[in-house]
Amino acid sequence: MSEEKIIEIKNLEYIYMQHTPLEHQALSGINMEVNRGECIAIIGHTGSGKSTLIQHLNGLMQPQKGKIIVDGEDLSDSNVDLKALRRKVGLVFQNPESQIFEHLIGDEVAYGPFKLGLPLNEVRKRVKWAMEMVGLSFNEMKDRPTYALSGGQKRKVALAGVLALKPEILVLDEPTAGLDPYSKNELLEKIKKLNREEKITVIFISHNLEEVSFLAHRLYVLANGKNLVDGTPNDLFSNKEILEKYKIGTPDSVDILYKLKDAGFSINPRLFDVSCVAAQIFSILSTYQRRVTDDISV
Amino acid sequence: MTSRFELTRNITIGQYIPTGSVIHQFEASLKLLSFAILVVGIAICSSYTGNLILLAFSIALFGIARIPIHYGISGIKPALPFMIILSLMQLLFYGQAAQGETTLFQFGFILITTSSVQLVIVSAMRFIEIILVSSVLTLSTSTTEMTHGLEHLLKPLKYIKFPVYEFSLIITIAIRFVPTFAMEMEKLMKAQASRGAEFGTGKWWQIVRKTKDTFPLIIPLFSSAMERAEDLILAMESRCYTPGLKRTSYRQYKIALRDFLLLIITTLFSIFIVFYKFTY
Amino acid sequence: MKSDQALIQLNDVSFHYIVEKKKELSVLHHISLNIFPGEYVAIIGHNGSGKSTLSKLFNGILKPSAGDVVVNGWNTKNSQLIRDIRQQVGIVFQNPDNQLIATTVEDDVAFGLENILVPAEEMESRINQALRTVGLTGMNKRAPHHLSGGQKQRLAIAGIIAMKPKCIIFDEATSMLDTYGRKEIVKVMRRLNNDGVALVTVTHYMSEVVEADRVIVIEKGKIITQGTPREVFRQKQLLQSIGLDVPIANHVAEMVHQKYQPFSSNLIDAGEVVEEVKHFTTGGVSV
Ligand SMILES: Nc1ncnc2c1ncn2[C@@H]1O[C@H](COP(=O)(O)OP(=O)(O)OP(=O)(O)O)[C@@H](O)[C@H]1O
Ligand SMILES: Nc1ncnc2c1ncn2[C@@H]1O[C@H](COP(=O)(O)OP(=O)(O)OP(=O)(O)O)[C@@H](O)[C@H]1O
Ligand SMILES: [Mg+2]
Ligand SMILES: [Mg+2]
Repeated sequence: MSEEKIIEIKNLEYIYMQHTPLEHQALSGINMEVNRGECIAIIGHTGSGKSTLIQHLNGLMQPQKGKIIVDGEDLSDSNVDLKALRRKVGLVFQNPESQIFEHLIGDEVAYGPFKLGLPLNEVRKRVKWAMEMVGLSFNEMKDRPTYALSGGQKRKVALAGVLALKPEILVLDEPTAGLDPYSKNELLEKIKKLNREEKITVIFISHNLEEVSFLAHRLYVLANGKNLVDGTPNDLFSNKEILEKYKIGTPDSVDILYKLKDAGFSINPRLFDVSCVAAQIFSILSTYQRRVTDDISV
Repeated sequence: MTSRFELTRNITIGQYIPTGSVIHQFEASLKLLSFAILVVGIAICSSYTGNLILLAFSIALFGIARIPIHYGISGIKPALPFMIILSLMQLLFYGQAAQGETTLFQFGFILITTSSVQLVIVSAMRFIEIILVSSVLTLSTSTTEMTHGLEHLLKPLKYIKFPVYEFSLIITIAIRFVPTFAMEMEKLMKAQASRGAEFGTGKWWQIVRKTKDTFPLIIPLFSSAMERAEDLILAMESRCYTPGLKRTSYRQYKIALRDFLLLIITTLFSIFIVFYKFTY
Repeated sequence: MKSDQALIQLNDVSFHYIVEKKKELSVLHHISLNIFPGEYVAIIGHNGSGKSTLSKLFNGILKPSAGDVVVNGWNTKNSQLIRDIRQQVGIVFQNPDNQLIATTVEDDVAFGLENILVPAEEMESRINQALRTVGLTGMNKRAPHHLSGGQKQRLAIAGIIAMKPKCIIFDEATSMLDTYGRKEIVKVMRRLNNDGVALVTVTHYMSEVVEADRVIVIEKGKIITQGTPREVFRQKQLLQSIGLDVPIANHVAEMVHQKYQPFSSNLIDAGEVVEEVKHFTTGGVSV
C-alpha cells in the first residue's frame, strides 16, 4: 500500500429532493481519505447515508457542496470525463439483483466489457473469469435466463457484471447480503486477493462486522450523514461505548468476549479473531487449573 | 448542482401528502366525480379568459389543500418538451384559411392565423391546468380512498358483472406505482451508466442524443416493472387476496352535505366557464 | 408445545419450474416433511438449493408438480380452499418494499383483514394489537415508504399476524437489514413463537438458526439431514461440504476442546460458551 491518496473527500454534503417539501439531508459533512491499494469499510446503521456517499465516487451523483477528488480529478468540475471515471471506479449497488437488465446471464455479465469496446474473445475471457470469481459455473449458467434464478444467484450475476470491467477502484454496497456462508467466504477471499495481490483499491459497505475485520485495513463509521469515527477494526471493536452509541452490532466473537468480561473474567477485546478468542478462553481455563493444582499442592 | 439522475424528484403523481385540509376530507367518490367534471370543463373551454380563470383556480386549489405549489410545478416539468413539440406542430400546421381569420404568416403549406395562435396558447394552458388539478387530486387522496371512491362510482356496473373492485384496485395500484416506476428507471440508468452506458454524460442541449440513450432502457424497464408487479401480487395473494371474492372494508365512508355541495359547485362552475360568452 | 397433528404436511412432493418453451427445471425431489403447531423450524441450504421454492409451496403460492401439500387437512391443490389455507399460513418475504400495498400503516394491515371478511368494528383492535406485537404502536397514520427498512419489515409481519395465522414463513426476512434491524425481527419472532405461532425461517445466518427447535438442511432439492440445532451443527463436515457453516461460538468451542478435552465442543451460542467457562472455573471444583 502506498501513501498516495487515490480518493479525497472534503465536507461533502447532499440533499435529496432539494427545494421540494420532501427535502432530506442525507450527507452533512463527510471527510474521507483513501490511499491507493487500501481496503476501506464503511459502516453505520440504516439511513445514515452510506449508499448516497458511494454513489458520488463514480459520478452518479455530483457534489452539491464540498469536494471529491478521485485520482487527481476534481468531480465538481463539469468537464470531468465521466466515462473514463466510471471505467476506473466500478460500483456494485445495494440489492443489485433488481437492476439486472439483460435476458441471459452471459449477456448481462458481458454488457460492460462490450461497452469498453473489447474484442470478442477478450470479452468472453473476462465473462468467464468474472463468473468464476463469484462462483457461477460459466458453462452451466451463461445461457440461463436471468429471471430463472434464486435470490443469491441473481446477486452473484450482478457482482460479476461489475468485476468484468476490471476497475482500478472497486466500490461494493453490501456485497455479501443474501449469500450462503460458503459463497460469502469465497467472495471475501477473492476480494481480499484482488486487493492484497492485484492492488485494487476496495471500498465496501457492510453490516457484517466479521467481514469488516477480515477484509478492511481501516473503517469509517457514519451516522446522520457525517463520518464520526475512523480507525482500524481493532480500535472500534474494543470500544464498547462507540458501538452502543452508534447502534453497531458486534461480531459474534466479540459478543463472547464481552459476555466473559461481564461474568468477571479478564479478556482483551482487541483479540477477537476466532482463534484468539479460543486462546483467551484456554488461558482463562489454564490459569484457573493452575490455581486449583496449586491449592491442592499446598 | 444536483444528481444527474434524480427522476423521482419530478414525479408528483402517486404520492400522498396528508395535510388534513378540507380538500383531503371530501368523500372520495364525489371528489373523483367533481374532478372528472372539472376536467371536462377544462377540455372544452377554449377562450383566453376562461382559461385564465381556470388556471388561477387550479393554483388556488393548492393553497386550499395546503400543498406547496412546488409539487404542481415539478409535475409540469417532465411534460415540457412534449408540450413544446406539440405546440409547434399546432402552430405550423393547424392554420385554416377560414372566414374572419387574420392571416399572420404564410409560407408554402405553413399558415399561421390568429385562431391557430389561440389554439396553441389555450392547449398549453389546458395542459398545465389538467396536470395541476390532477396533482391536487392524487396528492390529497390516499390510494385506499381512491380505490374505494372508484369502486363506489362504478358500483352500478356490478349489475352487468363488471369486476368493479378489481378494476379500481388495478387503477389505484397503477397510480401508486408511478413513483416506484420512476425509481426503478433511475436505478436501471445508474446501473447501466456504472457499466459504461452513456447516460448522464451528455450536456443538456444534446436532446437527440439524450433521447437516443434511453432506448436501451425500455425493455429492461418493462421487465423490471413486471417483476415488481409479480412480487406485489405474491404479497397480496399471501394475504388472502383472491380476485372476485367478497371483502369487507376497514374504512366506512359517509357522504356528507358538503360533499354534495362540492359536486354542485364544481358542476355550476364548469358550466359557466364553458357556456359563458367571454369577449376574448 | 407440539401436538401430534401436523399443521403442514408435505407428502412426497416434487417441483419443477418451466423455463423457456417447456424446458423443465427440476428443483425439489420427493420431499416429505411435517410442520407441527407451535414449532419453530429453520431451513438452511446454499444459494439455489430450493428453499424459497419450498416456502412458496407451504401456502399454495406454488402447487407441487407431484405429491401433495396439506395444510390443516386441506390440500393446496383445491383452489376453493386457498383463502383459508393462506389465512392459516402467512409469508414474509425478503424485500419489504414489494410487500406493502397501501399508503398508510393501518390501511396496510387492514388489507389482509378485509380479504378474510373481518367485520369493520373488529378491525381497529386487531390492527392495534398487531402493531403492538411488532413494536409499531402509534404509527397508524404514517406512510410506509417513509419507514426504515427494519420498520417496514415489522409492518409486513404485522399485516400477517393481524390475520391470526397458525404459522408464519420468513423467507430471508432479515437479509436486507442491518444488525440492529435483524435483532428487532428476531425478537418479534421469538415473541410470536412464545404465543404459540409456528414459525418457519429460511436464513443464511447461523446465529438465527440456533433459535429454532428443529433445523432442516436442503441440498439440491432434497432434505439431507434434520434435527435440533445441536444435532445438526454436530455434523460440521457435512455442512461445510455443502457450503454451510456452524455458528462462531461452535468454532470457538471446538478450538478450545482440541487443546483441553473436557471442554465441550458442541456449544452453539455465546451464552453456552460463557456457561461452560464458568463451569470449569467455579462450579466444578470448590476448594
Ligand atoms: N432517492 C431518494 N430520495 C429521497 N430520499 C432518499 C433517497 N435515497 C435515500 N434517501 C434518504 O436518504 C437517507 C440516506 O439514505 P442511504 O440510502 O444513503 O442510507 P444507507 O446508509 O445506505 O442505509 P441502508 O443501510 O438502509 O442501506 C435516508 O434517510 C433515505 O431515506
Ligand atoms: N421463477 C423461476 N423460474 C425458473 N427457475 C427458477 C425460478 N426461481 C428459482 N428458480 C431456480 O430454482 C432453483 C431454486 O431456487 P430457490 O429460489 O428456491 O433457491 P433458494 O434456496 O431460495 O436460494 P437463495 O438462497 O439464493 O435464495 C434455482 O436453481 C433457480 O435457478
Ligand atoms: Mg444503503
Ligand atoms: Mg431464496
